[in-house]
Amino acid sequence: MINISQLEKVYRTEEVETVALNKLTMDIKTGEFVAVMGPSGCGKSTLLNILGMLDDPDDGSFIFNGIEVAHFNERKRADLRKNNIGFVFQSFNLIDELTVFENVELPLIYTGVKTADRKKRVEEVLDKVQIMHRRNHYPQQLSGGQQQRVAVARAVVNHPKLILADEPTGNLDSSNGNEVMQLLTELNEQGTTIVMVTHSEHDARYSHRIIRMLDGQTVTENILI
Amino acid sequence: MFKNYFKIAVRNLLRHKAFSFVNILGLAVGMASCFLIFLYVSFETSYDNFNKKADRIYRIVSDIKTPSEVIHSGITIAPLAIYLKKDFPEVEDAVRLASDGFLVTKGDIKFQEKRTLLVDSTLLNVFDFPFVEGNKVTALTEPMSIILSQTASKKYFGNEDPLGKHVLLTGAAINATITGIMKDIPENSQIHADMLVSMSSAKQIYGQSTSDSEWTNHNFLTYLLLKPNANAKRLEEKLPAFMQKYHGQQMRELQMYETLFLEPLRDVYLKSTHTEVFPATILTTGNINNVYIFSIIGIFILLIACINFINLTTARSAERAKEVGIRKMAGALRFQLTKQFISESIIITLIAFIIAVVLSVLALPWFNQLAGKTISTGIFSNSLQIAELFLLSILIGIFAGFYPSLFLSSFKPVSVLKGRFSTSTKGLMLRKGLVVFQFVISIALITGTIIVYTQMNYMRNKDLGFNKEQEIIINTNFDKNKDAFRQSLSSISGVLSSVYSSSVPGGDYTSAYSEMQNAKGETQKTNLNLYFINYDYINQYQLKLTAGRSFSKDFATDSTQAMIINESAAKMLGYTSAQQAVGRNFSQWGRQGKIIGVLKDFNYKSLQQQIEPLTMRIEPGAFGLISIKVAANNLPSTIKAIENKWNTIVPNRPFEYNFLDDAFNQQYNAENNFGNLFLNFAVLAIFISCLGLLGLSSYSTIQRTKEIGVRKVLGASVSSIVNLLSADFLKLVLIAFVIATPLAWFAMNKWLQDFAYRTHISWWMFALAAIASLLIAFATISFQAIKAAIANPVKSLRTE
Repeated sequence: MINISQLEKVYRTEEVETVALNKLTMDIKTGEFVAVMGPSGCGKSTLLNILGMLDDPDDGSFIFNGIEVAHFNERKRADLRKNNIGFVFQSFNLIDELTVFENVELPLIYTGVKTADRKKRVEEVLDKVQIMHRRNHYPQQLSGGQQQRVAVARAVVNHPKLILADEPTGNLDSSNGNEVMQLLTELNEQGTTIVMVTHSEHDARYSHRIIRMLDGQTVTENILI
Repeated sequence: MFKNYFKIAVRNLLRHKAFSFVNILGLAVGMASCFLIFLYVSFETSYDNFNKKADRIYRIVSDIKTPSEVIHSGITIAPLAIYLKKDFPEVEDAVRLASDGFLVTKGDIKFQEKRTLLVDSTLLNVFDFPFVEGNKVTALTEPMSIILSQTASKKYFGNEDPLGKHVLLTGAAINATITGIMKDIPENSQIHADMLVSMSSAKQIYGQSTSDSEWTNHNFLTYLLLKPNANAKRLEEKLPAFMQKYHGQQMRELQMYETLFLEPLRDVYLKSTHTEVFPATILTTGNINNVYIFSIIGIFILLIACINFINLTTARSAERAKEVGIRKMAGALRFQLTKQFISESIIITLIAFIIAVVLSVLALPWFNQLAGKTISTGIFSNSLQIAELFLLSILIGIFAGFYPSLFLSSFKPVSVLKGRFSTSTKGLMLRKGLVVFQFVISIALITGTIIVYTQMNYMRNKDLGFNKEQEIIINTNFDKNKDAFRQSLSSISGVLSSVYSSSVPGGDYTSAYSEMQNAKGETQKTNLNLYFINYDYINQYQLKLTAGRSFSKDFATDSTQAMIINESAAKMLGYTSAQQAVGRNFSQWGRQGKIIGVLKDFNYKSLQQQIEPLTMRIEPGAFGLISIKVAANNLPSTIKAIENKWNTIVPNRPFEYNFLDDAFNQQYNAENNFGNLFLNFAVLAIFISCLGLLGLSSYSTIQRTKEIGVRKVLGASVSSIVNLLSADFLKLVLIAFVIATPLAWFAMNKWLQDFAYRTHISWWMFALAAIASLLIAFATISFQAIKAAIANPVKSLRTE
């Protein structure tokens, strides 16, 4: 599904130049659950952003489902993104002014799904993450675990092929964290590819493969199954 | 999708109530001001539009060239209407109007009417004055026929049907018959009258009919109705030959060459350069410059309000950034977000629109009063107007939302979602620039207001060269008992003196064709303003002689063969000193004689105008006015005593009087209204600017909460914190001041050019504006700053 080779990303400010990705090469197959680990500043998040097409690389090749996307413009990236990729963040990133239902509905609005259809699909996915009873609540009225479940629901409502999770349990206690990991595992078992950045060895063990990064490069890969 | 935008917009407004309040209030006040100005401008530009044939109606004006000057006259000669209609097939109809005041009597009811016109019977074929009763075609054909306005009808006939009933006009031996009733002529008409008297009545009223072949009788307004498709320009080109044909020889003899022009009816009110001698109560004139000035002010106020919106919205971008990131991540394209934010801005402007409409409705009576006329009876009286305003609001929403939406939708989801987003610097320069712009406008308006008021004050207090205090003016309207009345005045203890004349300063005067001996000894033909005065006039008004002597009963010839001129007249005739003019010959309106004295120039017209040459002669037949000099004390009882005398001696006329200084200052009513409107809009502009400043400063204070806490923990005093928070904004106001000063100077200098006599723009006016705006801005900012500075630092630190 994902083939990356010689990928480079450099952040420049007036004085410093930080190499976030240094000729990185990796492949991720469809249906895989991959955990990316490494110390702060090793380039994991940059990698995730490029995979999520939120950011573009400076150099190198990024082939997504057989299409070279490294030099796609914003519009093409957005198109590809909304139909193929779901995101889960450490800080949930729900819109405070929208209810649980409306937050989850958002991606469907942008992909142009009809209202009646939207309702059905949102309810389906809310059911799946067991938050249906809170559908009319605002994010602030929910616990952290509940908010993250809403975020996961939003990530999958569009049936994406790939879910990118950035420290999805970072703000959660262990029991809520485990619930979210369970959820991601289930999604993976149903066929969704998952790439997860994490600091937690515990969480990483849910994945099939752990990629360890340092200074913008992969250092080791452990295959767990 | 729109539902989603709407939801989030409303929830955002409710969540940030203070911000929403400031944002919407600023917009609403700005829009309301703009609406009022819009109504004012539409009213001013709507003059005479009610005439269905307005685009075919032209007023005839003329430039009269004499060897001495060019007179731009709106008053035309009697035969024009008749001969133009006869000679030119493209002229469908023509009408003449002459103004006169009548004493109108119906039984015990009598009024000295000021707004009466003698008009040709064709009037109602040319103009669409709203006729309600009678036969429109024949109403004005017969002698002694009158059309009354509904107001006048009520005055004389109450609820009776006045048609066919009678009133008596001064001078006339027989009754006049009411042949028609019209609604009051709309306020946005250049012509105003309560009574239209048929032109053919002139014979009964004046003892002679209007001379239709007298080509020197300048007394009429003449309007032409051209046929559809007639070319006015081409007709105008044929007029010199027309004048030559009928009036050529006379023009050469008199050396007064008259060129006729056609002024489109709709241009007369705002753009005519041919100023009138018709009383302003009958022929109203506007000023296109005021329309421009207020349009600009309206746009500026709207800009200020939009800038508030832009500033407050972009300042709060940090709060919306996360949402932008999430939406982008969820697949939103940039243009979809732009659309969302513009929709949001339109929603906000529509809320502001509703409030603005309410505010305008509430402010309208006050605004009418300020404008000095009823520009509108209600915003809802015209559904087209409200639709226009609604459309305007949507445009405002798009305009105001444009930049913020581009700004907000440009955020990169990566950085905002990671919280690596700092708004403090992003767009800061622009926001500061916009604040400076707002204050440039506000300070310029404040400076403008100060200068307008200084000029008003200057005009009211300038030494006019004559004494205008404690002069009571009574118009006798040539009543046969006027002499007896004047003589009786001397028995009243408060009356110091009284004198006859035809004119008083600030009032009407005639101008007379004159042949004057000039410095070269030649006879110079010219048209000179003329006051008929009695012996004591110069003394009573304390006019100063610079050469020669005043009129005196010691010289028998003074009553018929003597003239006094002013310095301007002496200068026009080429005399280098006043003394040279004394003893020279004059010939004017059938009288010949010598100049006996020269008066120091005095401002007998408003201070907008230069002092023009003036001549004065004694002519008892022309004495209609009595100037009564009264003692300052016991004024009410003096006036009562005068009134008693009047009522006894002149029982058939109502007692009416005015004070000369009041009447003189009434010439500045238009400027007064202008000044008041200016002041009010300046206040609104600064109010809206301060709302924006309040919003921005509170926002920046919130952003700096932690910094303030740290500083206080480290020992900063409250005042140093207030200074810290205020300095940034006050700097902006100072920059604005530097920019505004030359702009205001330039604009106001231009405005002052309209006044022949004007105040000087001096440094203190700018200093005052600067201090005022700094104080206002400081008060606004310090409100937030002090609140932040006295807050417990522990609290502010805990919020992080």
